[in-house]
Amino acid sequence: MDWFWPEGFYTLVMVGVFVLGAFALKLPIAVAMSLAAVSGAVVAGDGIPLRHLVEGTFGYLDTILIIASAMIFMKTVERIGLLEAVAARMIRRFRSFPLLLSLGILLLIMVPGMITGSSTAAVLTTGALVAPVLIRLGVPVLKTAAAIAMGAIYGMIAPPINLPAMIIGGGIDMPYVGFALPLLLCTLPLAVVTALLLVYPDLRRFKGDEVALEEQLREMERTPLTPRLFLPILVLVVLLGGETFLPGVWPALGMPLDFLLAALSAFLTGRRWNLLETATSAVEDTLPVMGILMGVGMFIQVMTLIGVRGFVVVSALALPAWLLYVGIATSLPLFGAVSAFGAASVLGVPFVLALLGKNEIIVASALSLIAGLGDLMPPTALAGIFAAQVVGEENYFRVLKHCVIPAVLTAAWGIAIILGASFVAGVLY
Amino acid sequence: MKILRGTPVTALVLLVLVGAVSFLAAREFLAMRVPDVVVPAPGYETHLLSEWEPSLKGTPADTPVYIQAGSEPGGTVLVMGGTHPNEPSSSLTAVLFLERARVNRGRLVVIPFANIMGFSHNDPQEASPQRLHFTLADGSVRTFKYGSRATNPIHAWPAPDVYIHPQSGQELSGKEKSNLNRAHPGTPDGDLTSRLAYGLRQLIVKEKIDLAFDLHEASPEYPVVNAMVAHERSMELAAMVVMELEGAGIPMRLEPSPKNLRGLTHREWGDFTETMPILLETANPSQGRLRGRTDEDLVLTGRDKCYTKAAALGRLFVPYDGSQSIELRVARHTATVKTFLDMLGLFDEAKEVDVEGIPTYEELLGQGYGAFLTPLPLKDASPGSQG
Amino acid sequence: MTPIYRGIVALVLFLMLRCMFREKDFWKQVTGALVLIPLVLRLLLLK
Ligand SMILES: [Zn+2]
Repeated sequence: MDWFWPEGFYTLVMVGVFVLGAFALKLPIAVAMSLAAVSGAVVAGDGIPLRHLVEGTFGYLDTILIIASAMIFMKTVERIGLLEAVAARMIRRFRSFPLLLSLGILLLIMVPGMITGSSTAAVLTTGALVAPVLIRLGVPVLKTAAAIAMGAIYGMIAPPINLPAMIIGGGIDMPYVGFALPLLLCTLPLAVVTALLLVYPDLRRFKGDEVALEEQLREMERTPLTPRLFLPILVLVVLLGGETFLPGVWPALGMPLDFLLAALSAFLTGRRWNLLETATSAVEDTLPVMGILMGVGMFIQVMTLIGVRGFVVVSALALPAWLLYVGIATSLPLFGAVSAFGAASVLGVPFVLALLGKNEIIVASALSLIAGLGDLMPPTALAGIFAAQVVGEENYFRVLKHCVIPAVLTAAWGIAIILGASFVAGVLY
Repeated sequence: MKILRGTPVTALVLLVLVGAVSFLAAREFLAMRVPDVVVPAPGYETHLLSEWEPSLKGTPADTPVYIQAGSEPGGTVLVMGGTHPNEPSSSLTAVLFLERARVNRGRLVVIPFANIMGFSHNDPQEASPQRLHFTLADGSVRTFKYGSRATNPIHAWPAPDVYIHPQSGQELSGKEKSNLNRAHPGTPDGDLTSRLAYGLRQLIVKEKIDLAFDLHEASPEYPVVNAMVAHERSMELAAMVVMELEGAGIPMRLEPSPKNLRGLTHREWGDFTETMPILLETANPSQGRLRGRTDEDLVLTGRDKCYTKAAALGRLFVPYDGSQSIELRVARHTATVKTFLDMLGLFDEAKEVDVEGIPTYEELLGQGYGAFLTPLPLKDASPGSQG
Repeated sequence: MTPIYRGIVALVLFLMLRCMFREKDFWKQVTGALVLIPLVLRLLLLK
């Protein structure tokens, strides 16, 4: 039986229709993805499998609720003036310590990702918070966005919550225990490097116009940063933190509800803003991404239905041993184009099985790190898209360009950890 | 294409389309809620699990339990399928014991659809077929649903980010909260999946089940496959059975139940009840991550070019010669359970169970699964159709 | 918790409808329509 025929052909059709739709016809990516899914089903003789197309979208139903509610939260703290007020305070406090500031900011970006396991949550909360700080202090807009995107991904991978690692573990019946140290090893060094690479040089060099800066700071401080104004962030920290650090005691409200409650608490700050308009504009801004996720859901379901998924996975596993690592470093992020979680499940599990015999916790941690890069991969590129949005950049590809070096380092670091898994295990345990 | 203008009218047109698509898709989703019909052999009494755990009464978790007692006293054996409704040989084997068994000594308890809440839907992005069709000896066709590994989210939504196993504090990915085989031994006040597990534990305790089977399938690339997992208490009997099976040409791996993986039947039933738990795994390419085209044919034949290639690459834990048919998988489960039944009396005379009418390994392979199903009775009289 | 989450779905659904009727770009309306389908089906607990 010929390996390429017909699944390889189906793959080309699906990718071809997507490229045609998205780039030649300039259709929204969501629509191009859906058309690609339908074409795949049609050429494979399944007609238009309505049940499959709709069922596929349900893989991301919870994700779109998180995205919508996180964006509602972000728009709210922006509208009440909290975002600018916090940024101004941070600039005044830390601008004379550029190294500390660069490292601190990267860590700050990571924190919401660490406790929610979602890069989107990180970008839209502390990412949005630090963006104006970095920009005022002279970090170029695109580098700022790149630093936020990378920090958000490291946050998503860093402990205590790492959903790709849990997904990989779930595929081989490995409880999510003992991951904290390996995951810190996976992420912290990279976060430091990213801070030094993208943030620190410009912060150190900043010799801006002091008068102009002072004027800007005043403008940003229009709304005084009172404890009361700070309430929404406090509520969010308590809700998300409680769920993570008091498991079983704290009610598991889930991220969408946490974000919405935190947004609602803005009513208690005494500031006035239009809730309905804010929420509508939040949904409007996230609509393309939510649509992409729906398109991707259909795409994966059809890939699975017509055999393209197995073709891709087994082709990756068929690589010779020395190429297996190259395959891991490329196919996991590439498959992340349809979502990092999807990559962890579809490819992460077979890879960890292919690497059985090495310390599985360390291998799974490193694979989750590489899978996390999927959040930079177009068309979904959740981290890249939202990072571009928080700095006001229209074209997220320009942000991704600045992510290339840290991303390559990330993949290399992940592979290095897998190669040295037994050595790492000896040191850590 | 960007030139196309959007107006409230186009929005309205799209909404009508959304309604139409939703309606058509919903019809297919709702069809999955119609229960499979089974025809219990004479002698079976039909019960519901809520008789052992009243809080399940009227909930979607309440699953049928069938009990047949022989004329002679002996041991009591539970055959449970459908913990994971995407592992069809498990419920199909239980159905075989339900429709064929004649119990002479002891008692047989059969639960064919353990997590009945997983039979009413399919997993997103897995492209599972909804139904399997079997042709019977008389030419009629019977169908069984192919479900999901997890409880239907409409009964268990939203899933938490992290699932904490209540008895051990073990943390797992949040979707495992809907996985019956991570919920054992269950709690009386938890969510439906946890209460279902609790109900099963109550049944095992109150019915004094001596030997309890939890039937499964696993992907061929998974290390524990064509295998038996035994609790410490079941180990001696299991070892005798494995030797017997080897002699009959049915190779079987025997694995001790890991102490540190919690929530599974082979661990919790052993620790929280007096029964001897046994979990069985066959290899099911249609649930594997390496599979190619996913459809009913794959489920029934296990023929798959991706698995063929993966086997050649040495990635599998089962001998895979291009197929792994449902007959073979049901036959493995059936022969294993039957061998246990035959040896239980040797192990402890008072617990002897004697069951007749179960097709042999060779008969199943030769005649196919459908040959051993009972044709459905006419519509008006449908004894034992499950609710 | 399920009723609360149905409420959240209803909220997003309502906001999405609001966006669709204000949207001037047809293809963005189509994108919204794609998102509406699972929201409707989950709101009604059909899937
Ligand atoms: Zn199973």
